[in-house]
Amino acid sequence: MDAKKLKKGIGKAWSQYSFIIVMFIVMIVYAIAISANGNAFKWSHIAAILGSQNTCIVGTMALGMALVIITGQIDLSIGSSLVLTTSATIVAFNMTNSIAVMILTALIVGGLCGLINGLLVGLAKMPPFIVTLGTMLIYRSLTLSVVRTMDSSITGSNSSQFAMLRTNNKYNFLRMQFGTGKLQIGGFSIPYITFVFLLMVILFVVISKKTKYGKSVYAVGSNEKSAHLSGINTTFVKVSVFVITGLLVGVASFLQACKIGNITPASSGQSYEMYAIAAVVLGGISMSGGRGKLLGVLFGALSYTTINFIIVSIPSLSVDIQDTFQGLVLIIVILIQTAGPVIKESIQTAKRRRLAQSEE
Amino acid sequence: MAKILEMKHISKSFGGAKALSDVHFEMEEGEVHALLGENGAGKSTLMNILTGVIPADSGKIVFMGKEYITPTIKEMENAGIAFVHQELNVINDLSVADNIFLRKELKTKFGLIDEKEQIKKTKELFESLGVEMNPSEMVSNLKTSEKQLLEICKALYSDAKLLILDEPTTALSNDEIDHLFGILNRLKKTGKSFVFISHKMPEIFAIADRYTVFRNGQFISSGKIKDVDAQKLTSDMVGVNYVDADYYEPRELGGEILKLHNYSGHGFKKINLSVRKGEILAFTGLAGSGASELMQTMFGVLPNEGGYIEVNGNKITGKIGTFMKNKVSMLPANRKENSVIPDLSILENFYTSEHVLSKKHQLIKDKKEEEKYQKQKEKLKIKAENSSLGIASLSGGNQQKVFLARWLNTGAEVLLFDNPTQGVDVGAKSEIYRLILEFAKQGQTVIINTLEIPEVQKVADRCVVFYEGEIAAILDHKDVTEQVVMAYSTGAKRG
Repeated sequence: MDAKKLKKGIGKAWSQYSFIIVMFIVMIVYAIAISANGNAFKWSHIAAILGSQNTCIVGTMALGMALVIITGQIDLSIGSSLVLTTSATIVAFNMTNSIAVMILTALIVGGLCGLINGLLVGLAKMPPFIVTLGTMLIYRSLTLSVVRTMDSSITGSNSSQFAMLRTNNKYNFLRMQFGTGKLQIGGFSIPYITFVFLLMVILFVVISKKTKYGKSVYAVGSNEKSAHLSGINTTFVKVSVFVITGLLVGVASFLQACKIGNITPASSGQSYEMYAIAAVVLGGISMSGGRGKLLGVLFGALSYTTINFIIVSIPSLSVDIQDTFQGLVLIIVILIQTAGPVIKESIQTAKRRRLAQSEE
Repeated sequence: MAKILEMKHISKSFGGAKALSDVHFEMEEGEVHALLGENGAGKSTLMNILTGVIPADSGKIVFMGKEYITPTIKEMENAGIAFVHQELNVINDLSVADNIFLRKELKTKFGLIDEKEQIKKTKELFESLGVEMNPSEMVSNLKTSEKQLLEICKALYSDAKLLILDEPTTALSNDEIDHLFGILNRLKKTGKSFVFISHKMPEIFAIADRYTVFRNGQFISSGKIKDVDAQKLTSDMVGVNYVDADYYEPRELGGEILKLHNYSGHGFKKINLSVRKGEILAFTGLAGSGASELMQTMFGVLPNEGGYIEVNGNKITGKIGTFMKNKVSMLPANRKENSVIPDLSILENFYTSEHVLSKKHQLIKDKKEEEKYQKQKEKLKIKAENSSLGIASLSGGNQQKVFLARWLNTGAEVLLFDNPTQGVDVGAKSEIYRLILEFAKQGQTVIINTLEIPEVQKVADRCVVFYEGEIAAILDHKDVTEQVVMAYSTGAKRG
């Protein structure tokens, strides 16, 4: 009886927390790949995953993307929003040398990018795919056109990019201590920016599970009409998830500025919206809305980063073919997640038929 | 008559729950066979097995002499079994003829669709069935009843021998039902057989030849319709101790709580009405009479286009949220579309509306919510094991009770119920009537919109009959009869 209970418990854990298992499998494959190259798998490898741009910066934005997807919408503009917002954030720093102004700028510009998306989708009732495709083009191109006209004392660079000014006295703290620094806990070191990401994960897990607002996000994605008729202001919910995504882009922009120190409007943040969607989906959140756990985004982002690391660690793979493998791995993981329950049901039916026949 | 279908020793479990245990089902050629049972009795499961949608765990199907164990959907379709679903499966953006020939398109010698020929064949089909419909009309322009007919025609064109009609009359007016039954009677004579699934007794007695009753996944009884009465069928469906009791009793009513003054909107105009506290009012009228639209406007779902509504002396304008603050609530029609939030648990479905009113305090206190739920659960006798289960795990009647609880939990004083017993089985129906009367006794004001006159007679103090967007008559409880209501709602008699 207890064994049966245990089996049932494991089954439930698998269906609800498969994203954790996926992450561990990916980690193990990574460990094998490292050892195959003749190296020992060490904590520094894990720390590199934890502190990677794909984990912390894309992961932070993916939390917003998750809310947008749970309401049944999509945001394709976050890569471009990141470029615009990071540029503004770096300019704010270069001009004022103030961390507070920098953070405030990041949140306001990011939030505004999200608000524009939200209002077009929520109030003008346009399809989110098209709206954010449009703003994706607009946000990046605006930044591109501005960077060439600005003085290098403001952009911090002569080469069509925005860079944090080294002559500002807060530079050292932001870049060297916070942005690329690590906290030592016992023998382990963890990048500071990872903690910012984890803090955001905790915040949004609480919002999604423990607040009335969080539940209304799920309700809108699950059945918008029922949600509306039960009194939920569905327009507000749909607009707000874009604004929250914008604010998270703001947080990610601050991290980008501190970790990398610069942003190139022509090339930075390319395809980040796709990486974020990948992290959301690997985190077990349904693309059709209404279902999924925000905690999944943490593991989804870690899995996605690790998959990247595995592919890069195979020396015989040329750079050109790497995206093919990324794409394949993504498709296979999702196939297992969606096809799993269907296969399970047909196996169970076959089992019961055999049982019934043997009784006869 | 020859047997056309035999289903023997059919069993099916989902997870641990037995949906069907060792049931039998038999049909003869050229009959209308009523398949009866409450929601969750196993009717849908049996039909899904018959059409190859899900495999049975054990048992076999013999259709027209051929044996099937676990057939595919395609096999059963080719064998001549067609399922006319309750949710219509016609495609709105295609023409009538295109729908009939979907997946069996007639082609010209160039491999393109031969539209002329399709329209010609459709016309011939319609003529032979006595259906009046334009083959080149877009389906989106059809009435629901016409879509229903189209789906039946589609099945007949593909030469179906056995048609499963799942609650085919829910969206039809009385005239349309008569028309449908006329066609069914004609088809019967040509040897077509029908499984007829319905909750409405008068229809079953009007059209069915034989019946089979299921209860809790088990075979209960079967026989000829002319040998039984409604009371016997109902007690077979519900189990022992079913009494179709009359709960209505006159009550002391309070002062005016709700007032409509020259109230106008989509599909209705210049409605004047005064409702007293504790009163139960019924709106009734044929589809398009404006009754349902009026109710939706009284909850801010549809816009008000003139006049005003007053609740407790306050004029209300605005959206749903404003109406909720003024203690108005509405249980919408079409539970699945308008009430169910399928990915949320029972508890989460329960507390959504109250959370809209209490949104200033954002944190959810699980324990408190559970207490509130338990209180309503006891009051409404909701049958549910655990509030953390998905809402879809409940039967239709219990789901509806959860949505009643959703609104009671907001402390609403005016309860608007749009078709509250739609798709709910007999047992749960009578419980909902009992609850409505109980709410009124406790001083809540109830307005129900319904097409079923017996329902009006069971609960309503007054009945407002609508015809073409206006009030045709307001009848007292004692004056409500099927004939009088019908006369006013068809415009035969004017108030």
